[in-house]
Amino acid sequence: MSEHDHKHPVAPAPVTPEEAGSQALSHALGSSFVIVRVLMIGLVIVFLGSGFFTVGPQEQAIVLRFGRPVGEGNKALLGPGFHFALPAPVDEVVRIPITQMQTVTSSVGWYATTPEMEATKSEPPPGPSLNPAIDGYLITGDANIVHARATLRYRVTDPIRYQFDFANAPSLVGNALNEALVYAAGQYSVDDALTRDVTGFRDKIYNRLLRLIDQQQLGIAIDPPTVQVIPPRQEPVKTAFARVLDASIQRDKQLNEARRYESDLLTTARADAASITNSAAADRTRMVRFVAAEAKRFSDLLPQYEKNPEMWYRLQQTEVLRRVFTNAQEKIFVSSRADGKPRELRVQLSREPQKPSQK
Amino acid sequence: MKRNWLTFITGLLLLLIFGLLLFVFQVRKSEMAVVTTFGKPNARQYTEPDAYFRWPWPIQKVHKLDQRIQNFEDRFEEVLTPDGYNLLANVYVGWRISDPKLFFPKFAGGSVAEAEKVLESIVRSAKNEIVGKHPFADFISTNEKELKFAQIEEEMLKKVQSQIAANNYGVEIKFLGIKRLGLPEAVTQAVFDRMKSERQVLVSRIENEGREQASNIRSAAESEASKTVAEAEAVANGIRGEGEAEAAKSFAVFQQNPDFANMILKFNALEQTLKEKSTIILDQNTSPLDLLKAPEPSRKTQSTNTK
Repeated sequence: MSEHDHKHPVAPAPVTPEEAGSQALSHALGSSFVIVRVLMIGLVIVFLGSGFFTVGPQEQAIVLRFGRPVGEGNKALLGPGFHFALPAPVDEVVRIPITQMQTVTSSVGWYATTPEMEATKSEPPPGPSLNPAIDGYLITGDANIVHARATLRYRVTDPIRYQFDFANAPSLVGNALNEALVYAAGQYSVDDALTRDVTGFRDKIYNRLLRLIDQQQLGIAIDPPTVQVIPPRQEPVKTAFARVLDASIQRDKQLNEARRYESDLLTTARADAASITNSAAADRTRMVRFVAAEAKRFSDLLPQYEKNPEMWYRLQQTEVLRRVFTNAQEKIFVSSRADGKPRELRVQLSREPQKPSQK
Repeated sequence: MKRNWLTFITGLLLLLIFGLLLFVFQVRKSEMAVVTTFGKPNARQYTEPDAYFRWPWPIQKVHKLDQRIQNFEDRFEEVLTPDGYNLLANVYVGWRISDPKLFFPKFAGGSVAEAEKVLESIVRSAKNEIVGKHPFADFISTNEKELKFAQIEEEMLKKVQSQIAANNYGVEIKFLGIKRLGLPEAVTQAVFDRMKSERQVLVSRIENEGREQASNIRSAAESEASKTVAEAEAVANGIRGEGEAEAAKSFAVFQQNPDFANMILKFNALEQTLKEKSTIILDQNTSPLDLLKAPEPSRKTQSTNTK
């Protein structure tokens, strides 16, 4: 067009309405193609960019390129962070929860309840007996019936196997737990499982689980499960079990009382024994000292006495009587009757108690 | 020119993607595939995850099969033990498709659900047969040697595996476990009655034990206590005896003049007896109170006066 104008420097040809219209159209189309092209390029960029993904802190991821993991064995696992993969359908990103603890609860062995009731810690009323279709229970080694429930926490240690080799790995773990529960219950008596050997029961379940996980290669690592065991809720079984517990408590109380009695009695006896021997020792000492003192006094006084026995006697008598009369509480002097007849004395006993002499 | 180059690239990309969708199929890590050409399955087996070439439909069709281990559970049903127990047993099986070429034609479209229907009847008959060989005590026993729980599972597994192999289902049974055991409702009632009476026996046993033990403790304590006291008394007597023996040595002194010794002791005793709270009644003849009488003239005094 511009060339044409250049060769013929005449006034430009008048623009007809049809030409103007087609001009405008081709102009519009030209610019719309630009927009479309921009859009297409934009889409391609977005498409390629959709390959970016992040892996969370509790996960690992595998990129499957045409279905096959990128990388050999465990190297295929991508840790937390920002990664790139080609977009679908070339690559597929599979996320595997790995470090977070999974929890599974046994589904056999416990009476029928709902999550709402669990939350409010209430329970549905026990029926007259146990309907196997509805209620779970376990048969113990001594052919009794109990309810037991186990909760297991585990970690995935082989994520590739856990994710890709099992259609429903959590369900298989749950069934392993169930089997272990049934297996263990069948070896324990009801008393052992309920009270006497609760730890042993739990360990039995744990060891069986380890065995099953190893056999089936589930690719997980487990903590020992927590186990809850209760007797049936139906009357009169429930009461019968409660009575046994009461009887045990009573017996323990009885034994404690007996032991307290024993302890008190023996302590008292020992104290008495000590006091008996101590008192005897004191008596002995006193006697020995007394006699020794008397012997000494005797030896001291003997020479005096032997010099003049009668004089010594009179002196001694006077001295002793003086002391006696001083110490006596009451002295009653009775003179002789003029006619020489003996006096009659009347003594009133049980008088007021006398006060001890003040010394 | 630049415009065309970019368009060319984009067009190529679109063509590539289109081609991938039509002529390539993937086998994902959890899958296997069977390819049918005009409806007939190929001889080739696709068990490894990868991308493979194919002709688009309607020439070829790709059927995906799950290569993972499935979890199958049968129904909680009654089986009869040889000793007449109606045991309810529930079994779970871990199985997978091992041979897609065999599996695919036998179960429509390679459906796992279809296979499980067949598996169910195999498992049920194995369960009946094996349980029918084991008495109740093989399932539950507090004596570990008698227990055959694991063995029963093992036998059932082998039975199911042999049935599967005999029929060439292209399936592999990896493991089998007893998930649950139970008893018919009427039987649980009988069990409850027995449990109740067992508990009652236990209660009286505990009570008796308690009574007996407590009484033993008490009587043992009493006997021990009296023994302790008796021993102490014996020792005490011995001690006193020692004292007397030692005192007896001193008595030898008194032999020098027994009468004098007696006299001293009597004086002591008199003084000690009358030390407190004593009332003494005296008459005027007791010395020194005899001084209170009118004095009798004494010859000695008179003679002194006359001088």
